[in-house]
Amino acid sequence: MAKPVVEKKYSFLDSIYLFEILKGMVLTMRHFMFNFFASFRPGPHTIPTTWQYPEDRREISPIFRGEHMLMLDEQGRELCVGCGMCAKICPAKCITVEMAKVKEGEESKYAGKTHCKNFNIDLLRCIFCGFCEETCPKSAIELGQGYELSRFTKEECQLGKERLLKNYHWAKKNNKLKPKKVEAEQPKDKKE
Amino acid sequence: MIDLIIALIKVVGIWSFTLGVAAVMTWVERRGAALIQDRPGPNRAGLFGILQPVCDGIKLFTKENIVPEKADKVLFNLGPIMFAIPAFSAFAVIPFGDRIIIGGKEILLQISNIDIGFLYIVALGSLAVYGVIIGGWGSNNKYSILGGLRSTAQLISYEVPWGLALLGVVLVYGTFNLREIALAQQGTFLGILPNWGVFHQPLGFILFMVAAYAEANRVPFDLPEAESEIVSGYHTEYGSMKLGVYLFGEYVNITTLSALTVTFYFGSWHLPYINMASFLGDGTIIYGIASFLIFCLKVSFFLWLFVWVRWTVPRFRYDQVMKLGWKSLIPLALFNLFITTLFIQIKYYIGG
Ligand code: SF4
Ligand code: SF4
Repeated sequence: MAKPVVEKKYSFLDSIYLFEILKGMVLTMRHFMFNFFASFRPGPHTIPTTWQYPEDRREISPIFRGEHMLMLDEQGRELCVGCGMCAKICPAKCITVEMAKVKEGEESKYAGKTHCKNFNIDLLRCIFCGFCEETCPKSAIELGQGYELSRFTKEECQLGKERLLKNYHWAKKNNKLKPKKVEAEQPKDKKE
Repeated sequence: MIDLIIALIKVVGIWSFTLGVAAVMTWVERRGAALIQDRPGPNRAGLFGILQPVCDGIKLFTKENIVPEKADKVLFNLGPIMFAIPAFSAFAVIPFGDRIIIGGKEILLQISNIDIGFLYIVALGSLAVYGVIIGGWGSNNKYSILGGLRSTAQLISYEVPWGLALLGVVLVYGTFNLREIALAQQGTFLGILPNWGVFHQPLGFILFMVAAYAEANRVPFDLPEAESEIVSGYHTEYGSMKLGVYLFGEYVNITTLSALTVTFYFGSWHLPYINMASFLGDGTIIYGIASFLIFCLKVSFFLWLFVWVRWTVPRFRYDQVMKLGWKSLIPLALFNLFITTLFIQIKYYIGG
């Protein structure tokens, strides 16, 4: 059924347009003047709605899901045990983990008995869902704050272990780590 | 010989002047639009982005020159040229200042002072549509031809009130010569108002402005382009410098129309209440430059008005445009003409 057409009644002033157009022009001039003087003020972020990207950046939420990082514990040991849970859950199938036993004399470097020899994330396929972070039993992988991920070659988009650790160090230095998760309360009446 | 050299200097000077103004206008338009819409606009190239037109020019020049396979090659290439030539040539009869006298030789600040300047302007105004319709037809694209057809219909409708409104000014000052019209606007009228066309012809001025926006295919009458309806209309298929010529021609058109507005309605190079010629000395170089600068100042206001209106008013619907043209503007223009002739007759009988 067609909608009934409602004829809008225009007053004489409306129907000669000119007065209304003048009113509109006053409005646009007000905006123009405000922004005109704002653009002369020093500093990059003078026009309120626009971030002048390389000079000023938006605040990012602490739980932002950006470039991944492999976490270390307080003693600076690698948390990842190379179990491959993240690789399994990843919907984009972009994680490859290679597990290896921790060699004699290297125990101080790794928190567990095993570790990951190789760790690779294909950023070209990652959808930043955060499942890897959620499923990891050791909280060894987290999605950080980095979002400038474009590179010139495909190879540079492969997140190796080195870069993952570098991301962690950078985040720690700049105080960009996520706030510690509040552990969900365990049900107390759990029978042994 | 001397005459020829002087004419050549004037032609080249004015030609580069309009080109320069058009280039700066592309930047003013984008920056103005941005500021009106609460964003900064192009502000990276040079100080406040003033070099943006240069970058755009380089971009357009270096792009591939594509001619669609099914297009009519000749017409397709002819379109932009046909569009730009009338836009540039209209400036030939517009006086952009008074005169300079060097060594007893009088140099008018006007390329050619012809007696039928008014008719020349109106004729060129209607020629501009050929560029649009030829470009639209030659592209062999339904949106382009639609844009071209719309432009034709619009120009035919708005040429009439445009010419009739200007005729009112011609009646008041009694001449077709643009320089004489400009000269006649010196002094005051009714004792208080400057002797400008806008005070003789307030209704005519409004009609002229509305029709001028339609002539220049600017918002609110940009139906031939109408990005949201027919994807840029007649220049959909154009790229590289051919598109550049179209876009540039539009700004040259705007410059010409602004200059016309100033010449016919805003006293050309005259300041209100002040007779510059009497205290700077008629014909001195400084007077010539001052009159040119005043003319430029007035023109720049109208150039800005084009930008300002564009980002204020939304586009009319097609039937609204036609209704406005035929049912409002043409009767009003005729009415204006009638009143003007009546007053002139009454004045003639009383005074004469
Ligand atoms: S990051 Fe976590 S889930 Fe992935 S292999 Fe290492 S310990 Fe296992
Ligand atoms: S964020 Fe999602 S897609 Fe990306 S690596 Fe982790 S699980 Fe895979």
